[in-house]
Formats: sequence, C-alpha cells, structure tokens
Amino acid sequence: MTKHHQSEGLKIARFLMVLSSISPLFVLWAIRGNKLLPDYYLFALCALLVVVPNVFLWMRIATARRLQERRELIVGKAEDHRDHLLVYLFSMLLPFYGAELATWRDLAALLVALGFIVFLFWHLNLHYMNVLFAALGYRVFTIYPPSDGNPLSGKISQVLITRRVGLSTGQHIAVYRLSDTVYFEVNE
Amino acid sequence: MNLDFDFQNVITAEFGVGQDDGDDQTFVFVSVDGEVQGALREMSQTTWTAMQEQATTPARYEPSEKYASCEYVYLPLTDDLAARMRDLHTANNLPTDGQALGNPSEVFCYFARLTDRQHRRLTALRRATQFKGVLKSRLIRLVSDALKLVEDKVFKLDVDFDVLIDVHNLHILRPSGFEFVGELQQAVLAAVPTNIEAIKQDLKFVEFSAIADYAGQHPRAARYLASIRAQKETKNIDKGLLKKHCKRMGIEIKESKGKLVVEGDDVMRFLEVMDRRQYQVELVKGKPERFKAGSRSRLRTSGGEV
Repeated sequence: MTKHHQSEGLKIARFLMVLSSISPLFVLWAIRGNKLLPDYYLFALCALLVVVPNVFLWMRIATARRLQERRELIVGKAEDHRDHLLVYLFSMLLPFYGAELATWRDLAALLVALGFIVFLFWHLNLHYMNVLFAALGYRVFTIYPPSDGNPLSGKISQVLITRRVGLSTGQHIAVYRLSDTVYFEVNE
Repeated sequence: MNLDFDFQNVITAEFGVGQDDGDDQTFVFVSVDGEVQGALREMSQTTWTAMQEQATTPARYEPSEKYASCEYVYLPLTDDLAARMRDLHTANNLPTDGQALGNPSEVFCYFARLTDRQHRRLTALRRATQFKGVLKSRLIRLVSDALKLVEDKVFKLDVDFDVLIDVHNLHILRPSGFEFVGELQQAVLAAVPTNIEAIKQDLKFVEFSAIADYAGQHPRAARYLASIRAQKETKNIDKGLLKKHCKRMGIEIKESKGKLVVEGDDVMRFLEVMDRRQYQVELVKGKPERFKAGSRSRLRTSGGEV
C-alpha cells in the first residue's frame, strides 16, 4: 500500500529540469530578438536561462552517479514516449516562439503564460521532456509496475531515460535516480 | 544452510523504511549515497557471519517457542507466517519518498534491498530501536576543541540486521525483531480458523469450537496452534494415549458424543500437550514432577539433537 499523501521530492531540482527542458525556447528568443529589450540584455538573459538549468541537469546526473543513487526497476509494461516531444513542441515552442511582443503588456502576458506552462510541467512531473536527451540518442519510456498482486508493490509509473530501443516485460534494470519518478540509465 | 545471494557481486543496494501512521503500514525507499550503501552491505554480511557462527543447520522457527534475544532460526518464505516479509521481499518498484524520515517516530523498521549480478535479491531488515532512539538522546560532536550538541536529525544504523530474506527462506537472527516487524501476533490470530481447520482433519475426535474461541482471544494459544500445525505431528495421535496424558498432567477433559471437549484455561494446557510442551518425569519413586517447556528440541534416541 502506498500513502496517498506521499509527495514528490527534489522540488527545486525538478523546477530547474523543467527550465532545462524549455531552454530551446530561450535560444529561439535570443535569435529572434524583440523590440522591447536591447539585444545584449536579451542575449545575457537567454544565455543565463539556457546555461544555468542545463548545467544543473548535468550536475544532477553527475551527482546521482557520484553518490551511486542507483536502484533496480522491474518493467511491467513500457511505453515509448517519443511522441511526447510533439506535445512539447506544440505546447511550448511553437506558441511561445510565434507570440508577438510589441508592448510590455505582451511580454508580461507571455511570461505569465510561460509560468503556467512551467508550473504544469513541474506539477505533472514532465521534467524529463527534454530535446537534449533526444539529441544525445536517449529515449524516454514510461514504465508501469508489474501486476503482481503484491499490496506493497509500487502503483505509480516511473519514467526511464535510456539509450535502449525497447524494454520487455519482467526486465530488471539498474538505473540512476534523477527524481522520485524519473530515472536515467547509463551504459557502464 | 546457504544464502542464495552473492555478496561479492552486488549491483544495487537500496535503503528503505517501514512507516506506521496508526491506520496503515507502508514501505518506501529513501535515497542514500554510496557510503551508506557500503554500510548496508557490510551490515548484511555481518548478519550472515553472525548466523553462521550460531548454527550451520538452524532450526525452523516456531511461533510458540521462547527464543533467546539472538538465535539463528529459519522460516520458509512460502510459510503463512512469512506473508508480510514475503510481500516486502517480492514487492517491485517500491515507491521512493525523500520525505519519509521527516517524521521519524512513524518509522518502525528499516531495511536494505541488495541485488546481485544474477538479479537475485536479498532483503535485510531491522526493527527501528536504535535508529529512532538517537532522536531522544542528545548527541555531541567535537568541533575544533569544544564539544557541541548535534542539532540535525541523526539516524544511527545498527551493526547488523534482525532478518535476512533470500528467495527461499527468512534467516532470522533475532526472533523478537522478526515477530514485531512481521506482525506475527496479528498473523497467528488471523490464522486461527485455518490452523484449526487443518488440525481438525487429523484429530476428528476433538471438539475444536471452544479451542477456536479461546485461541481467537489469546495470542499465546494462537501461537501454539500455528506451531502444532507447522510441526505436522498430529496425524497419528491416539485418542486413548492423549486422554491418559492429559489426565496425568491434570487437564480436565470431558467427552461428549465421542469427542473430547476442553474448556476454559485447560485449553491452553491442552494445546501445550499437543505442542509437546507438558511432560512429566519421575526420578524419585512415587513423586512424579510435571514441567512445562518454554523451549524444547527433539532428541535422538542416541541422545543428540535432531
């Protein structure tokens, strides 16, 4: 049995991982520029928003490896969620990239809308959705626990970022923990 | 007895706690670093070494037996009494909860799950006494040349575990720890009807309704029942010899419709007879002495233990 009030840990880490996942948007904003902010301010801001979360993501993976934060996951059913990147593209990159920023109110509205999206990604544990992973050859799987009838077995699904092309039922995988629900497999 | 696990090829060492919030018991993992994982591996190996030093062929655990605080016994993982531990050992993808130690008073046990290269699991479990006890005492540490109070929450791991679980057996080093964490009392009480049903098949000449009522309210009697069933020694019990032994031990037995009826406090003593715990010796002529064995083991005819 799992407690109903169990909360997902690493809140700040997950927030920075969400920012890392939307860093391509900041790159596009920097390239496109706008009328409200001088380029050097915009470049600096966008560079900061791209570098800090991605350095943090890299540090999180390095820390998990250094501290040996490993556990074993058993695959019940696995779903390849490459299609989530399309959702990501349509929910994030295209609308925000296309938004016209003619006035300060446009910018304020855009930032508030972006805040909502960031909150949703954070709240729904979608922090694994990152174009960087795809670019580096990783796939994202949602792993459902085996239906073993054991009252203590985990009931919630986990996300695994791995270079494997497929996962089979009953497979045992040793993985590193990025958050309580997101795991990363490194070939060692 | 062997442990079906390879300590030299451990690929993951996970740490978890059992929490009891009054309504519900849960088991969750808590993330720990490599040093803690090393300590957990060491504790598991120390436990196995301590077991080997105690006995290479341990006795099977019996719920009615009085054990020393540290005594190596085993219980097959398939046994009904191992249900809770079996669930923990076989549970897949236990949830991770980084906040689990936020309320240490709810933690009733902690455990390690080791996995070797052949994906065999070893679950090691310890009742949380010292782990929690540290919170109540004041710890000090040396900072520069002055002792200071440690203000952070500090959890102290023990030297070894109470129980090791592999794919076949529960290897129990501290029976009291296993009984507490494995909710044995609740398990034996819940098993009273099934145990009665099983024993009834062998002892058709005993009326069990009063025994079932009594055992349902007295955990000690429920433990005797579980033990009697596990021993599987009821099959050829002779009615006449049983009556004679009970009479010799002062247990009042009535007979109704061909069945032996035991009532009240005599139920406990009757169960002790069935569990081979009440016996009589007569070393002084004409002065038979009656004893109850809190702990006993069968002897070979040559005098050695079975």
